[in-house]
Amino acid sequence: MEKVVGSPREWIDRNESAKTMLARVLTARPLLLLPPLHRVPLRVGNVVELVGTSPSAKTHILIQAAVSCVLPKEWNGVHYGGLDRLVMFIDLDCRFDILRLSKMLKHRINGESNGSLKKIDQEHMDFDLWNNDTKKSPTYDEELYSLCMRRFLFIRCYDSFQFLATLKTLHYRIRKEQELHGISVHILMIDRNLGKLDTSNSRSMSSTSLQLPYREYMPSVWQMILSFEPMTMIARSIFQNGCSHHRVLWINLLSKRPVSSWSHELREDLVCSLGSFLISNMMPIKST
Amino acid sequence: MEVGLDIKFFQRERRKKEEGGVLIHQLYIVLHVTTARGERGKCEMAPLKYLEQEYPILDSNFQNFCATHGIFSEEDLLLHDLHVLVAFAEQQSTSERLKQGITQVLSIIDGQHQPWLNGMELLEDAQLNKHVLSTGCEGIDLLLQGGLRMGQLTELVGASSSGKTQVCLLATSNVAKKHMGGVVYLDTGNSFSPQRVIDFIRQNSDPAIDQAKHRILQKVMNRILCHSVFDIFTMFDVLHQLELNLRSQIQKGDCQVQLLIVDSMSSLVTPILGGGGSQGHALMTSAGFLLKKLAHEHNLVVLVTNHTVGGEGGISKPALGESWKSIPHVRLRLSHDQGSSIYNVSVFKHPSMASGKAARFTIYD
Repeated sequence: MEKVVGSPREWIDRNESAKTMLARVLTARPLLLLPPLHRVPLRVGNVVELVGTSPSAKTHILIQAAVSCVLPKEWNGVHYGGLDRLVMFIDLDCRFDILRLSKMLKHRINGESNGSLKKIDQEHMDFDLWNNDTKKSPTYDEELYSLCMRRFLFIRCYDSFQFLATLKTLHYRIRKEQELHGISVHILMIDRNLGKLDTSNSRSMSSTSLQLPYREYMPSVWQMILSFEPMTMIARSIFQNGCSHHRVLWINLLSKRPVSSWSHELREDLVCSLGSFLISNMMPIKST
Repeated sequence: MEVGLDIKFFQRERRKKEEGGVLIHQLYIVLHVTTARGERGKCEMAPLKYLEQEYPILDSNFQNFCATHGIFSEEDLLLHDLHVLVAFAEQQSTSERLKQGITQVLSIIDGQHQPWLNGMELLEDAQLNKHVLSTGCEGIDLLLQGGLRMGQLTELVGASSSGKTQVCLLATSNVAKKHMGGVVYLDTGNSFSPQRVIDFIRQNSDPAIDQAKHRILQKVMNRILCHSVFDIFTMFDVLHQLELNLRSQIQKGDCQVQLLIVDSMSSLVTPILGGGGSQGHALMTSAGFLLKKLAHEHNLVVLVTNHTVGGEGGISKPALGESWKSIPHVRLRLSHDQGSSIYNVSVFKHPSMASGKAARFTIYD
């Protein structure tokens, strides 16, 4: 849109305000994942960890990312801009509220179908969960909503043995879900709050000036080419990161879980076996 | 705690002995004792020998093969790397059968965790089962948009005599009377008062003839079970017993347990915290997770009280520290105006509400 500039004044005058420009850019090139994840290297084989104290919206970010992931790119002529994949969520905290996910999904579907630009100020919206959205638009797409809800796979683990059992049978489960839905899993989310850390481990996390005892994991983006590959990718990224605190985190994940009847040796066994489980999966890839 | 010691002892014994044969039997005894007290009620970690009865593919050949890798029970299988095991199995002569055994083992492990659910199933469960129970106190109900939610662990934080026990007793009477559900009250400080509960029940009821009233009162009081617990291990015992009862669906009379109150959690946990070890924190988190598990699996409202300690700048903060902070779903702060019967309640933490919202309510004598 070239315009012959008549006078210097026209050249200096602004074309549009920042708000309109943002609106234009976000519709023309929508973000795949909402802030703050849009700057994060979230691709196959990367483990992203969200760290923060208790009331700092970590689960909220996970839920937002899950909603963006399960929505399809386009449905019935309306553009949703989602990634159209499955999400698996492991809840070690046992505090996940499905109603939040449901409301956020409905909100997003309503927003897109109404054509309004909800993306800009989605995180500033005040969700009042007990009021139905019916006054806004009762005709949101039921079919799409139930399809998306079914793409969200959830499990909660009450102790470390259950978590270990889940991890061991994970790629079998992924394959099964892929056959069932026809699409692959994109993100694996693990939601946990770490309790008080051992002093030996907190040294490795002393880089942050604030006391941040709570951590959350979000490993991500798997390509289901080989059944061994996903695990391998995770392991590789953990050990390639160089900094040992990721490994320490896995250890903390397991040793701080409160199975009250654990002896020290059992805990060590668990840690070593998980570590070796992760490492040994690199073998098939190396041979090819 | 003695459970941990038992396993340690036998593990040491196992390393001393060469043969696994006799020790498998001993290990089995220990593990069975632990599962009666232990948390993983569903998955009993039996030795492989006992799995043979159910799954004939795990025959003695398989067990010997596993024994050469130091695997004697299900727990060992869970800890061991199965891909390495498969690699070793390929070198054996009976590799096909061994691999089938390993596949069988994988499917056993698959049954040891909770089932995977999708969003729609979760939503249906939440809408059908997880109702809201009103506490009987309008202020709190208004604040919590209906009342206490099933499947959530609610914590009442407050200084001494700020009304925590009163709210607990009020909730007890309301659930027993209006919702006709059973109540399990774990009392740590002898603060449960049946007379007060009767007062609450009588407050809101219509005047009726004494005869019927007496019978109704008896029925309502029969739904309330009060246990005196003075240390955390007794609490674990009571909770495990409750879990077993709920799981085998022993209904006491005509009611199903809907409310579980622990008054107060802090007096059980504070004696074991500190001392430099992490066992206290582990026990506390363990108790928290057990309560949440009971709440979710059996659709209970769990109400827990906590007291306050001094924090920075003289502002009081809840006791039990950072580890406990993230365990309850909902945290409410209670306070009491001196000399009056007006109480203030404010939201400390809630999954779907901003913190800081407050309300007032009155409890009449």
